[in-house]
Amino acid sequence: MAKVLLVEPDVLLGQTYSAALKQADHLVTWCQTAQQAIQTIDSKSPDIVILELQLAMHNGIEFLYEFRTYNDWQQVPVIVLSHVLPTLKAMSPVLWDHLHIAAYHYKPLTKLSELTRSVDRVLSNPPYVSQLA
Amino acid sequence: MNSDVLRRRGQNHQVGTNERLLQALAEQIKLPLLQIARRAELARLSSDTSLVESIELTADSALRLIDNYLLSTKLARVQNSLQLEPVSIAAVLNETAHELSKLAAQYECELELHLSGRYMPIMAHRAGLEAALTSLGYVFIEAQSIRSHKHRPVIKLAAHRSKYGIVAGMFADLEGLSRDMYQRGRGLYGHTPQPLTQLVSTSGVGVFVADSLLKTMSTRLRLAHHQKLSGLAATFTPTNQLSLVQ
Repeated sequence: MAKVLLVEPDVLLGQTYSAALKQADHLVTWCQTAQQAIQTIDSKSPDIVILELQLAMHNGIEFLYEFRTYNDWQQVPVIVLSHVLPTLKAMSPVLWDHLHIAAYHYKPLTKLSELTRSVDRVLSNPPYVSQLA
Repeated sequence: MNSDVLRRRGQNHQVGTNERLLQALAEQIKLPLLQIARRAELARLSSDTSLVESIELTADSALRLIDNYLLSTKLARVQNSLQLEPVSIAAVLNETAHELSKLAAQYECELELHLSGRYMPIMAHRAGLEAALTSLGYVFIEAQSIRSHKHRPVIKLAAHRSKYGIVAGMFADLEGLSRDMYQRGRGLYGHTPQPLTQLVSTSGVGVFVADSLLKTMSTRLRLAHHQKLSGLAATFTPTNQLSLVQ
């Protein structure tokens, strides 16, 4: 069982991804904004973060920069699950490496089963091995 | 400059607006389709049949938004000959509240109807006005659902009098909603997937569909306040016209 921090702005998708991850035997904390996520991290000490980049107010990239500034959280793997296409320039491989993104999933094409498999794969492998799903 | 050139410019502007609206709608519709796809997958994995009702509601709301967009393009085409009629704002707000109530519940928001006093009929296109308020409601429900975990957030569907007429719209305790943000969003929608970034994580197309519908009724969506809440609303001219009010 891993402690998962899910950052997902939409209520229905947040509920759905949480339910699927719980079914896969993970403990899920779900936040809808970057600010909520930053406030939650200390108390929840997640083993892995699943992050949508397209958030209201502060976006996911801002969250990642903030997240990675804390020594305690530099080793925590992050899986991006986003509406933003991984091919966009904003998500260049340089940025992936810089922010230590362990896997990137384009949300519309990622099934729940693929997401839970990706979580297991990232947790069982050393972090920062970038892979495009 | 002759009238043909001016007319063509007007047509080009309208085509540009429609394309931007369609682009924003396409961005928005990805969300309910994704919700349906993932909820259906979860229902299959967990044999939870209660998810079916939520899937139906999501599909219905998405279809309604598409219909509202189509109505906006249709009304824009016939704008010069569009017949406005006396409409009861109370009846329209009631209908809209009924239409939005299930979605608000799904997103764990309280939807309140606030009508203080009686209002004279306003000049509007009834179906267009209902479509505008419903589309606006979708965005407010989404925006409010992001902002509060502890308290059930409240959205008010309300009308009040001002010196310019009767103001009707959606209001909520929304940090980040400002005149500047809305004006920037109006300039950006269709060009960026998230024009109302301080408000919602989607394209917020409901706001622009509502504005487009209201424009055909010679009014626009503007930042407004109701009691201590801020929101987006339009001002309508009351009428003394004695006729059967719809």
